[in-house]
Amino acid sequence: MIDFHTHPVLIQELREKYPNYERAAREVFYIGNNFQPLETFFLEMDVAGIERAVLLPIDCRRARKTSVSSNEQVAELVGKSRRFVGFASVDPQKKGAERELEAAIRKLGLKGLKLDPALQDFDPKARSAFAVYEAAEALKVPLVIHTGMSWAPGTRLERGHPLALEGALRQFPKLNFVLAHFAWPWVWEAVAMALKYPNVFLDTSCLTYDSPKEFFQFVFSKQIPTTAIERSLRNQIVFGSNYPRVEIKNMAAALRSLNLTEACLRKIFKENAERLLGE
Amino acid sequence: MIIQLKRIKLQTRKAEEAVNITASVEEVVRKSGVKNGLVNVLTSHTSSGLLVTEGIPCLEEDILTHLARLFPEDADYHHRRYLDYDGRLGFNADAHLKSVVGGISCTFPIENGEIVKGSRQTIYFMEYDGPLQRTYLVQVLGE
Repeated sequence: MIDFHTHPVLIQELREKYPNYERAAREVFYIGNNFQPLETFFLEMDVAGIERAVLLPIDCRRARKTSVSSNEQVAELVGKSRRFVGFASVDPQKKGAERELEAAIRKLGLKGLKLDPALQDFDPKARSAFAVYEAAEALKVPLVIHTGMSWAPGTRLERGHPLALEGALRQFPKLNFVLAHFAWPWVWEAVAMALKYPNVFLDTSCLTYDSPKEFFQFVFSKQIPTTAIERSLRNQIVFGSNYPRVEIKNMAAALRSLNLTEACLRKIFKENAERLLGE
Repeated sequence: MIIQLKRIKLQTRKAEEAVNITASVEEVVRKSGVKNGLVNVLTSHTSSGLLVTEGIPCLEEDILTHLARLFPEDADYHHRRYLDYDGRLGFNADAHLKSVVGGISCTFPIENGEIVKGSRQTIYFMEYDGPLQRTYLVQVLGE
């Protein structure tokens, strides 16, 4: 069981070590929860029945003056536990972003790329972004890209519209795009893209109102029928919690509350993620 | 007059659990040097609790089970909304309400350097929304 969408932004051990870490969590990622020891992260995974978690940094040094976790911090955490899978983040508008990505994959051992056009403030259709997509495709790593609504202050909703990625995913058919947060509220558009393009995956980390169970019931049975997941999208959805914005246990329980078969849940919780990670 | 406040960290390990903290409260009292006075124990969190009952597993289970019956996770709560000061949604109203009803503190007298309590009274830290690292306070006042 793999959680494909977590952010290591509230780790007590990193706050004590890195001066900017707390400001990034509070002012950029914008989360008010208490910092917790790394042990809490593992216990949260245990309670949710999750074996491994993908750690996603966001390189927004240009746009927000600090990273929300750096590639080095993610690599440091991965070095502490085999339960973590680390992704890298680079700023497409920064010269040499492609080389930086290559170093993060080859030297730091990170397994994928994370981008957030809203928080990083870049145009996902820009030539510079395409150069980074091309580098990720060449490195054979998946891309988790923020789509849908962003809570962070100062971000623009339009940066998260999934259709902005259509040109890229057509141009790079061997690059797997994981559209984070199921692109909510643009769920239909995201589903259309996943139906049309086999290199589009969707992660379940969407929660904008109500409780995780209520929101999942709404999105995955009213916005789209549950049968669409079971019959058409079962190979292109991965479980993501967005922890610590939401607890993993609540999101996992919400997914399990849907009327999906065990075989389908196994794909969403495990097999699709393993395929994306090349395992 | 001695007034001493200790902040004690506790790593809870489950979504919900009752953790017996009696021994650590007794240790704070002993180390404080207070012979006669009061000890007050309270949790620092609004989704956890502090209560006193007989220290047996069946009661620990009953308390959690029946608080869950009073405040089911899936009930209709106004708290389920975006909390702009927190950057996230509140969907743990059940934990908050368990904390309200179950209580957040307890007080015992101290006599001859020992807590005065019934032989079956056990002090519990109640986790309603774990696992988390929590903090509870033990304040000793006296002479």
